Amino acid sequence: MKRGGAPRLALRKGNGMENVIEVQGMAKRFAHREALRGIDFEIPRGSVFGVIGPNGAGKTTAMRCLLDIIRPTAGQVRVLGTDPRRAGPEIRRRIGYLPGELALERRITGRRMMAHFAAISGPVASGRIEELAARLGLDLDRQSRKLSKGNKQKLGLVQAFMHDPELLILDEPTSGLDPLMQREFLGMVEDARGRGQTLFLSSHMIGEIEQAADRVAILRDGLIVRTATVEELRAGARRRLRVLAATEPETLAAALEPLPGLQLLDTERLGERLGALEARFSGEVGALLHALAGVEVLDLVLEEPDLEEAVLELYGSLPGNGRHRAGEPRP
Amino acid sequence: MTPAARRPVLPLMGKALLDTWRSTLVWALVLVSVLALYLPLYPSMAGPEMEKLLASLPEELIRALNYDQIATGAGYAQATFFGLLGFMLSSVVAIGTGAAAIGEDEDAGLLELTLAHGVTRTQVVLERSLALLLRMAFLMVVIYAGVLALNGPSELGLDAGMLFQAVAQFLLLVLLGGTAALLGGAVGGHRTHGTAAGALVAVGGYMLNALGNQGTDLEWMHAFSPYHWALGGQPVANGIDWSAFWGLAGLNIVFVALAVVALRHRDIGGA
Repeated sequence: MKRGGAPRLALRKGNGMENVIEVQGMAKRFAHREALRGIDFEIPRGSVFGVIGPNGAGKTTAMRCLLDIIRPTAGQVRVLGTDPRRAGPEIRRRIGYLPGELALERRITGRRMMAHFAAISGPVASGRIEELAARLGLDLDRQSRKLSKGNKQKLGLVQAFMHDPELLILDEPTSGLDPLMQREFLGMVEDARGRGQTLFLSSHMIGEIEQAADRVAILRDGLIVRTATVEELRAGARRRLRVLAATEPETLAAALEPLPGLQLLDTERLGERLGALEARFSGEVGALLHALAGVEVLDLVLEEPDLEEAVLELYGSLPGNGRHRAGEPRP
Repeated sequence: MTPAARRPVLPLMGKALLDTWRSTLVWALVLVSVLALYLPLYPSMAGPEMEKLLASLPEELIRALNYDQIATGAGYAQATFFGLLGFMLSSVVAIGTGAAAIGEDEDAGLLELTLAHGVTRTQVVLERSLALLLRMAFLMVVIYAGVLALNGPSELGLDAGMLFQAVAQFLLLVLLGGTAALLGGAVGGHRTHGTAAGALVAVGGYMLNALGNQGTDLEWMHAFSPYHWALGGQPVANGIDWSAFWGLAGLNIVFVALAVVALRHRDIGGA
C-alpha cells in the first residue's frame, strides 16, 4: 500500500489545461485474475476520452476504481483533484456515472427512481429530468420492470446526466440503444462538451464513440496498448484500394508494390491492356497518387479506413504496454 | 430556496421505509391475527384444562417451550406469543430486512449505483439500520396495542407498564437477528450471507435457551443466548431487565458498527 506516503499528483494547470482525471500505474488484482496491470492516462477538463477494449479488458474495473466502488491494488488516482478513496460525497455529486451492468429497481416508476437519485446526488435543475427523458423518448411513468433494455439504459443515462455534473463516467453508454438513440446520445455528449463537462466513455466498438471522443485509449488484458486521437488511429488504419487501369496488371503491380504500407491482394487481367488491382493500403495518399502518375487510371477506389479493423489488430497483435503517457507517440 | 436546502433528510432511510410500507402493513396484520388467535384461548385453558395439558406433556418439552409459567396470564402471553410465534415471525421480518439492506442490494447490483452518488458507505449502513429499527419498532407498537386490546377480553390481567417494558426488550431481541443479517450482508456481499447470520443468531439463541432449560449442567448455555437474556426473566410479568436491555442494545450497536467497518473496507460487487 502506497497510500498516504506517496507523493501527491499535482493538477496540471499550465497552458490552461487542467486534468479532471489523472491515473498513474493503476493496477487491480482480484482473487483469481489481474484485471488492470498498471495503466496511465489523463483526461483534461472539457474533453471527451474514450476507452475501447474487448470484454474483460478492464474497462469496467478502471471506471469502478475511479468511483471508489472498488479499490485499486496499486497506483495513484486523482479524480477532480482528490483521491477517490478519500473523497467525500461532495465529489461524487459532481460526477455522473452509468454502470456497465446497469441494474435498476423493478417496482418503481422512472419518475420516482429519478427523484430518489436526485435526492442523493447533485442538485437537479427543475424540468431537467423531463427534458432529458423527452430527448430520449422515454416514458417516466412506466414501471422500470416493464421497460425494454434500451429504455432502462435511457433511465441510466438520465440519472447520469440530470445534475449536469462536471465529470461523466459512462460505461458502455450506447449498449442497448437503437441507432437513432445512439445518435441522440452523441448529441447529448456534444452538448455536455459544449457546457465544459468532461466525459469518460467506454465501448467495445470504436464505431460507437469515434464521433464523440477526442482521444481514445485502447485497452487489452489490463494494459493500455495505445492512446491516440481518432484521426491518428484513422491515419494508421488500413484502407482497401482498387485500381482499374489501361495497362497490363503486371505493370500496375510493379508501379504500386514498392509503396510503403501497401499489401497486394489480387491482380486481374480484364482484357487487352486492361488490368485491375486490389490491395490494402495504410500509407500516404500522396505517395500513392505519385506512384500512379505514369499509369492511365480508369477508376480508383480508396475506401474509408476501417477503424474497427485497426482496433481489432491492436487487440490482437501489439504487446501490451501501459507505461507510455497518453498523447505521446509510442516508442 | 437553493436546491441544496431542499435536499431531504435521511434520503436512504426514507426510501427504505417507503419501499417496504406495504409489506410492513401485511406483517402487522399477520402479527395481530396471531395475537387474536392465541390470547383469547387463555380463559378456557387457564385452570384445570391447563393442568391437564401440562401433565400430559413431557417435562423436557415444557421446559424447551418455556411453558413452565404458562398458568398465569403473563406467562401465557410470553410462552405462546413472545417466546414462540411472535418471536419467529418478528425475527423473519427483521432478518429479511437486515439481509436486504446491504447483501440483497449488492446481489441485485443496485448498491453500486447508490454508492456512486453523493452518499457514504457509513451513511448507507446507518440509514438502513435506522430504517430496520423503525420498521421493527412500528411492528412492536402494533403488538403492544394488540396485546393491550386483548388484555381485558382474554382475562390476562397484564400490567400495561410491564408489558411496554417487555415489548421494548423484545424489540431489541428481534432486532439483533436483523442487525446480524445486515452485518452478514455487509461482510459477505450476498443476501444469503445475511440470512445465514441472522438465522444463526435467532435460531441459535433459541436453541441455547431450550437446551439450557433442560438442567443445571446445561444452564451455562443461557449465558450465550440473547433469547434467554431477553425473555428468561419473564419480562411480561416483571418488566425490563436492565442488564439484558443494555446488553442487547450494545450488541445491536456493535453489529451495526462492524457492518460499517466491513463495508468501508471492501470492494463492492464482488468479481
